[in-house]
Amino acid sequence: MSLETIEFTVAGDGRSVSLSRRAHCGVVGSGDLEVLLEPKTADAAVSVRIVTPVKGFDALWKRVVEHFVAETGLSGLSIDINDNNASPAIVALRLRQALAEAQG
Amino acid sequence: MPNWNRLQTNSFLECSARDRAVGLVDEGSFVELGGPFDRLVSPHLVALGEAVENDDGIVTGVGRIGARPVFVISQEGRFIGGSVGEVGGAKMVGIIDMAIDFNDRLVAEFPDLPPSARPLVAISFETGGVRLHEANAGLLAHAEVMDALQRARHKVPVVALIGSRIGCFGGMGFVAAATDAIVMSEFGRLGLTGPEVIEQEMGKDEFDASNRALVYRTTGGRHKYVMGDANFLVDDTVAAFRAQLADLCALPVSSFEAMRRIGSPELVEKQLRGVALAAELKPSDARDVWRHAGNNDPVGLADGPLADFRKSVRRLAL
Repeated sequence: MSLETIEFTVAGDGRSVSLSRRAHCGVVGSGDLEVLLEPKTADAAVSVRIVTPVKGFDALWKRVVEHFVAETGLSGLSIDINDNNASPAIVALRLRQALAEAQG
Repeated sequence: MPNWNRLQTNSFLECSARDRAVGLVDEGSFVELGGPFDRLVSPHLVALGEAVENDDGIVTGVGRIGARPVFVISQEGRFIGGSVGEVGGAKMVGIIDMAIDFNDRLVAEFPDLPPSARPLVAISFETGGVRLHEANAGLLAHAEVMDALQRARHKVPVVALIGSRIGCFGGMGFVAAATDAIVMSEFGRLGLTGPEVIEQEMGKDEFDASNRALVYRTTGGRHKYVMGDANFLVDDTVAAFRAQLADLCALPVSSFEAMRRIGSPELVEKQLRGVALAAELKPSDARDVWRHAGNNDPVGLADGPLADFRKSVRRLAL
């Protein structure tokens, strides 16, 4: 029984849509998560860090985040997630909300 | 940041901790301290493999109402029931101490500073009390918050705002009782042992926690207002809570003494008169106490609109 930390990077698709400011969205309620988006200047990749009590879904997490990055064309940011058993649909929604917050 | 103007008409009950913190103070004035980007997660939850949150379920920061610096604490019920552990408790203490230090410095430098420009602490409670995962560290956190309230006494007014889903129970019920003034909505609930815990320990005959009407007439805002546990009963909007807080912001700290529930020999005597009344009255329901306070139609009074209630209710005199 320990918290899983999943870390990976996603290469942008070259569209290099960048964040102007950081944003936070969501509450770590049951079946929910919080998302932190922060611009970074070091490189153009998207660094992802997910902390979750659920094991065995690394590949699914990667697909959801890759889909988000591909859809939005984002690059040069870090995505930090604290999860509590959220479904992939909820994860996709919160990522979108956080981005709207960063751009709003 | 949420849109401040839109927040004002929102139901206070429905608001997240961060929305409440932003909406209670003047537009654009809230600055979060120890926020999610500072990543203050509970080490106890990590050790247990439980989900963590970067603010540990408590939003802390400072804003303004008029000229008054308002130090805000706002608890998030959706994260482990708003439970308070070591990190969350330390954040609460940190903000209260910051308000006290700021007050001391201001008063030393500007002795003639009007009360309406001196620091005040506002705590928006939404909690079941101690985070059981953190055991003694959680209990100690509560004690430290109580200590901080004692340090604030006669210096910085501390106002409790209760109108969120979880209510305010357990150890934090004690903490709320030790503040200077309590503002509630009719949907706010305040108590020590929560309804579910009473049912679990004493049985359904003693207290049926699934009976919403019973729960509200025993722990809800209207009852707490009759009993004198709540000083003010406001509508369920961010604007209404904010307006009441703004009214209190005009007062000097000395004016808050008369609103307190505990903390003087006179108040202890008043509490004892309450105990004696309970022994004499042997109420089987909150309605018995409402009737004793001079409300001839407690059922009608409980069911009517809040504005009518405020106009016609008789509060318990002890």
